[in-house]
Amino acid sequence: MATLFPTTVAPRGFTSTDPELAAVDASVRWPVMVCFLSAVHWMVVGTFLLVYASSLTHPQDAFPILGWFVDLSNNFSMFTYGRVWPAAIDTLVYGWAGTAGLGLAVWILARTSRTPVCSPATLMTAVVFWNLGVAIGLTAIFLGDSTGVELLEYPAYAAWALWVSYVLFGLWAVATYLGRRPGHDHIAQAWVLVGLFAFPWLYGAGSILLSWRPLPGSGVMQEVINAWYVHGVYTLWLAPLGLGLLYYLIPKVSGISIRFGTKTKVAFWTWVIFAPWTAVHDLVGGPFPAETVTVGLVLSGLIFIPVALIGMNLVSTAWVAEEKQGHHGGVVFPFLVLAALLFVVAGLSEEILSIRSANELLRFTMFRECNTLLWVYGFFSFVVFGAIYYIVPRLLDFGWRSALLVKAHYYLSIYGILLVIAMLGFSGVMQGNLLESTDEHVTILTATNLSISYHIAATMCISLIAIGNGVFALHLGWMLIDWLRLRVRGNRLAAEILLEPYEGEAPEKASEEVAA
Amino acid sequence: MNVITNFRTFFWLILAAFMFTWIGFVVFPWLELGHLPPVEDEESGTITPWDAPGAAHAGERVYAADGCAYCHTQQVRAETSGADIIRGWGTATDPDDPKKEITRRTYPRDYIWQGQVFLGNSREGADLSNVAERFPDAAKLYSYLYDPYVLNPHSSMPEYRFLFVMQKISGEPSQDALVLPPADAPPAGYEIVPTARAKSLVAYLLSLKKNYHLKPDEAGVPYVPPSPNS
Repeated sequence: MATLFPTTVAPRGFTSTDPELAAVDASVRWPVMVCFLSAVHWMVVGTFLLVYASSLTHPQDAFPILGWFVDLSNNFSMFTYGRVWPAAIDTLVYGWAGTAGLGLAVWILARTSRTPVCSPATLMTAVVFWNLGVAIGLTAIFLGDSTGVELLEYPAYAAWALWVSYVLFGLWAVATYLGRRPGHDHIAQAWVLVGLFAFPWLYGAGSILLSWRPLPGSGVMQEVINAWYVHGVYTLWLAPLGLGLLYYLIPKVSGISIRFGTKTKVAFWTWVIFAPWTAVHDLVGGPFPAETVTVGLVLSGLIFIPVALIGMNLVSTAWVAEEKQGHHGGVVFPFLVLAALLFVVAGLSEEILSIRSANELLRFTMFRECNTLLWVYGFFSFVVFGAIYYIVPRLLDFGWRSALLVKAHYYLSIYGILLVIAMLGFSGVMQGNLLESTDEHVTILTATNLSISYHIAATMCISLIAIGNGVFALHLGWMLIDWLRLRVRGNRLAAEILLEPYEGEAPEKASEEVAA
Repeated sequence: MNVITNFRTFFWLILAAFMFTWIGFVVFPWLELGHLPPVEDEESGTITPWDAPGAAHAGERVYAADGCAYCHTQQVRAETSGADIIRGWGTATDPDDPKKEITRRTYPRDYIWQGQVFLGNSREGADLSNVAERFPDAAKLYSYLYDPYVLNPHSSMPEYRFLFVMQKISGEPSQDALVLPPADAPPAGYEIVPTARAKSLVAYLLSLKKNYHLKPDEAGVPYVPPSPNS
């Protein structure tokens, strides 16, 4: 077995020796780099806000420094929990995952289609407006203009910018796909296209019906649409984009075709049909039609089919790669394998929630927070980490700077996210047991007293992730500075450092076989 | 194995898959719940539920902007799913007979007058469906928002001091001035009064009670057998 994160020296740099691929990478270089850099910027902002929000969940037991946060939140409306928490989650979903998702989508489509994008400047304009939308939305939440609708907190004036820029970006990416060279089909394309189609549909319908103009008298329908939107974001937008990258990169990096490749089609269609029904998890027991809930629970329970098949595809490919070739090394692969595993874990948590009695127990507890963080932070973040470690060196033809920093980022992230998930999941069960207790003496205070210690633990674990993310952001910044020094001053200082075994062009072929 | 054989077919299939959830999950419930009118009792002429005062609607905006819904729910589930009734969240005093209590789940028709509905997905705090029952007057709610730990030493609710201002007492003290324990009390000659935002938020909270009956066929959802307690 190869060691994790070996330090090797790039023999030929990172530019593909295949002239077609080199041209593709050159055409998407700046749009994708702008996506990734702004995404990492939002990741730092969002993670900081998440630590902030988490420290406000235990106001009476704050840590020394975080105690200032509590004082601030008591006295300034800007910093109250009800604004910081949605600001954090929205920054992570739209700023971090959304922006990085744009970059992934166009890179995967251009790469698999072997077609350079026709107007990188248009893509870049779209990304700039997307970022503007996120920034305006974030400011609006802090200034008290939040709509108060989960994941649709951005007021209409910010939502427009997001929607229009996404559609513009998406159209360009799809146009690139439509101009693909004949015969270059790949399963990743289907996943990415679903993600690109889903967002305008979800965000358009959600904004028009909920945040743009409130519908008088629609009553609980607002919450039905909100549930549809929130789960649509996880299952139809983020999950497909992430899976697209995993289906493309896992075989490419490991050099092994997707195992059980014949199942990819079934996995794809069952996911697209059943996964959005997980929205019903937010309706169980509430004032909604009973038949919708019952049908929804059955349909959402069926996601065990795609989750199992996708798990078989991705995790077993990684397993075989590890066994046959000891291909566990490199910078990218560990992140991708974890992302695939976390997808299965996220699927399992949805599966738990589609059991009616489990849902009734966990419905209003921290388990839901655990589920949110699993999708956004666990699964999608690891996809993006792997993607950035893989893609950025190829776009800049420049290596990462330090194996130590990658290692630090990896271990901080994995222990951070696993601890957060374990903590929030377990405390969800404990909290649920109290909230749903049949003992009349149990009150909300009993449940709060129990959950507060888990909230303190969650703050500590999220801080761990925050440190890891900080290390990652600094490493990316260091790499960029060294790259600039090379470009501007011709300083070849350690330009050859490469932190993964050079893959050559052979795996490229292996992954194309998968598509066939 | 190739998923996309023809882009146009693929596009329509994806759209059909999206529509499957949209129609099943949104359109069908909408037909059932989207336009529920209040019900009029033919004998007494009373209409239930009835609209909250305008100040309460202004309070919805404060409730939304300051994110109360991230910790508080506003839904009481039936006894058959969850222990909300046992926690006492579904109990309200009968306005016709103060000795009697109305204990029930919430139905879609309870929410028809709310401009924005906040059912919520987290119970870090208590359910607020009947919060006006537990805090019958504004003064208690003001002091709870200002410093929750006075009434409730183990609360994990944040303090909302920014909803209040300290002002110098000129002439008569304000009627709304908060009565606070010595630790929180303002310096002599000063008082702490709620801002307009606090007043509308409290008006909204005081409008939250389900102290009327809805017959099962009026509830807006398919018939659920009434519980023995109600």
